[in-house]
Amino acid sequence: MIFSSIFFLFVFLPMTLLLYYIVPWKAKNAVLLVCSLIFYAWGEPVYVFLMIFSIIFNYLSGLEINYYDEQQNMKRKRISFWFTVVVNLAVLGFFKYYGFLITNLNAILPFDIPYKTLALPIGISFYTFQTLSYIIDVYKGNVPVQKNFISFGTYVTMFPQLIAGPIVRYADVAEQLAKRRLTLYKFGNGVAWFLRGLGKKVLLANNIGMVYDAIAALAPGERSVLTAWVGAIAFAMQIYFDFGGYSDMAIGLGKMFGFEFVKNFDYPYISKSITEFWRRWHISLGTWFREYVYIPLGGNKVSRAKHIRNIMIVWMLTGFWHGAAWNFMMWGLYYGIWLLLEKYFLASKIEKLPSVVQQIYAFIIVLFGWVLFASDTLKDALVYMGNMFGICGHGFIDTTGLYYLTGNLVLLALCFLCATPWLWKKYRKIVLKKGTYPSIIAAVLYGLILILSVAYLVNATYNPFLYFRF
Amino acid sequence: MKNRKLTPAEKRKIFRERSFKIYIKVTCIFLVFILFVTAANLLHKDQTYSEAENRMLAGKPEFSMANLASGKFMTDMEDYVTDQFFLRNQWISLKLFEDMAMGKRESNGVYIGRKGHLLEISETPDMVSVDRNLEAIKAFAQRHSDINKVMTLVPNPAYICTQLRPLNAPVRDQSLDIGHAAEIVGGSLNFVDLTETMTAHKEEEIYYKTDHHWTSLGAKYAFEALCQPLGIQNPAQEYLIYPVTHTFLGTLASKSGYNRSEDTIDIYIPKTGNMNYMVDYVEEQKKTSSIYVSEALEQKDKYEVFFGGNHTRIDISTPLTENKNLLLIKDSYANCFVQFLIPYYRTITIVDPRYYYENIDRLIQDNSITDILFLYNVNTFMTDNSIADVLEAEE
Repeated sequence: MIFSSIFFLFVFLPMTLLLYYIVPWKAKNAVLLVCSLIFYAWGEPVYVFLMIFSIIFNYLSGLEINYYDEQQNMKRKRISFWFTVVVNLAVLGFFKYYGFLITNLNAILPFDIPYKTLALPIGISFYTFQTLSYIIDVYKGNVPVQKNFISFGTYVTMFPQLIAGPIVRYADVAEQLAKRRLTLYKFGNGVAWFLRGLGKKVLLANNIGMVYDAIAALAPGERSVLTAWVGAIAFAMQIYFDFGGYSDMAIGLGKMFGFEFVKNFDYPYISKSITEFWRRWHISLGTWFREYVYIPLGGNKVSRAKHIRNIMIVWMLTGFWHGAAWNFMMWGLYYGIWLLLEKYFLASKIEKLPSVVQQIYAFIIVLFGWVLFASDTLKDALVYMGNMFGICGHGFIDTTGLYYLTGNLVLLALCFLCATPWLWKKYRKIVLKKGTYPSIIAAVLYGLILILSVAYLVNATYNPFLYFRF
Repeated sequence: MKNRKLTPAEKRKIFRERSFKIYIKVTCIFLVFILFVTAANLLHKDQTYSEAENRMLAGKPEFSMANLASGKFMTDMEDYVTDQFFLRNQWISLKLFEDMAMGKRESNGVYIGRKGHLLEISETPDMVSVDRNLEAIKAFAQRHSDINKVMTLVPNPAYICTQLRPLNAPVRDQSLDIGHAAEIVGGSLNFVDLTETMTAHKEEEIYYKTDHHWTSLGAKYAFEALCQPLGIQNPAQEYLIYPVTHTFLGTLASKSGYNRSEDTIDIYIPKTGNMNYMVDYVEEQKKTSSIYVSEALEQKDKYEVFFGGNHTRIDISTPLTENKNLLLIKDSYANCFVQFLIPYYRTITIVDPRYYYENIDRLIQDNSITDILFLYNVNTFMTDNSIADVLEAEE
């Protein structure tokens, strides 16, 4: 089930909210756990058992690590910890990377290893990282162990962030699991977050995504420089508003149920450097890798050679986390290299440029990154990048390019406006004025987002039967 | 009272107060809307059929463990709730309005052109299949060297009516497709290029606004251009024109969801010449005395007023004594074209290769065919994969 669907909005959400609010505090986590399991099973009726296994396994491991800690048996504690980490990674590796590994082995080996491609369990990358954060923090003694099974299950499955993040670290919600406040203020704030996310996903991401799909489907020889750039920008906007919108909805839903999650995106496209971009893009993932990989490896408090090694490891893993394919790996490496370049050579030079130029620089680097990310193969990515420079394309400007540009000018402008804090600040200035009218304006805007989005959601099954071909 | 600077704590308090005013309103709107719509969904009766989409809407899914385990139950459930959503058609219109407001001029493979004209976007053809068809036509034509053979491909409105296209809309150059066909089959039969004819009348209503077909007027201009190659002497100059409906919403309206235009369907009866004939729907074993089916005007696809749609084989016979027997191999564009041909043939045999599996060579022999006409529109022809099979010589 996804948030941006009629079924979620008009069946699942109202029923869950109703149930959650009528039961007493003691039962609220249990309600959330059961509803989250239903939410997950709705899309993964079989893999839900894998997730239940993961919950039980990590719950028991946490207890075990804690037990050895109390016994002061450091060796056993370490063994137990590493065993848990390896099992978690093995499960993730098996479902996510097994097919990829075998395909690549088969390409090298003289014989073929037979294998069946497995469907990837939804959200496995997210919930594995969440359980790992718990195990690592318990091991390091950063958080107390969770003895309540329901609370632990609620943490792992919580449906708002289950499928697409943010990756909530256990340390961030440990206290909230036991005690949180439900207020009208928080609920309303949550609704506002949710609606903004819904609008970003349904009105912006889905529409601009169609532009990218159309352009990506063109033969490389039919893409002019203009078309290729419009396509790359369209994809950049699609992935930001899709992912960012989904995170906003998750944060909003979290608030409706009394939770506070960390912010996941902070206007990434206004960044003045790649280093800054990664502080603003998918913040929860960046934090995770920093806390649990980069810093344990020594971070930047080591020799230059080791620092370079650390950066490259983190970014290869980041790339690989996004998917089992070489282009994701290349995408990760691409950022690793840019970050090192900035750190050791470029930063001092870039800082002297006017800030608009810095922003354009960072945006263009990110655009090329997205081309790598979006292409199915490395070759496709290189061909598309070639098109962006007019290589093997269809001239500089052609009617196709103009059609996509002029036909989506309003949408593109809206995307750019929403990708910067400017519009948001203007809006806040107006609606936070004294008096009744400003709040009415705000409410009307939110209502409009809701209604305009629902129209698109209803249209999802618009599927006219056409009798004219046969 | 003097303006004094607010302390941060006071500022925060004001911010919270004013935010709260917004949040409480947003919450009310959100909850009331969801509850109201949920209630409306529960109360309103399920529709089984959507006129606008011409399909059965999803009904309540059946529950079984197998459906649950495969996830089918869940997807069916989501389809059901979405299909039966309160005021579904109005929501879909709103969505289209939003698209238009954002400047989008394309919906589901259809350009929303100017003046309310909908233009089908040509699919990229599979040239292997196209060439296979063309080679088959060529071989077929060479096999029947004693018969007068004519072929034409009618260009589609997205290509012809440049003035109706959305700004900068990329459109497939159909003159290249037509040229390609002429190059292969031109030597073996009489290929008529209608591009000029249609372009000359592009400001007239030669195509429907909401349907992918041409109008009877468009067909008439094509007929005039085809008379000479078909050997029709003294064709009728004047017609009685009967508009049979003004409320035709065609396939492109359904496909795009854009239904703000309506079309008129005209039928053309020549003022001179014989119009007594029998129509024999061979496979259906049904005979009538008119090619027009008025019941079709009660239904959604009113273009079916011509023959009631596509049929495997239709035989038309007239009292004409002159031995002129036409074989028409065609797609649905020809359905409104036949009305112009009737007075000039003793028999007209109409075959739609998409459904016809008999041997055509034998049909030609049995019916003493003297003329053959291939009539297709470019879009259908470029995506057809049935012509070659039908035209193959019998072993």
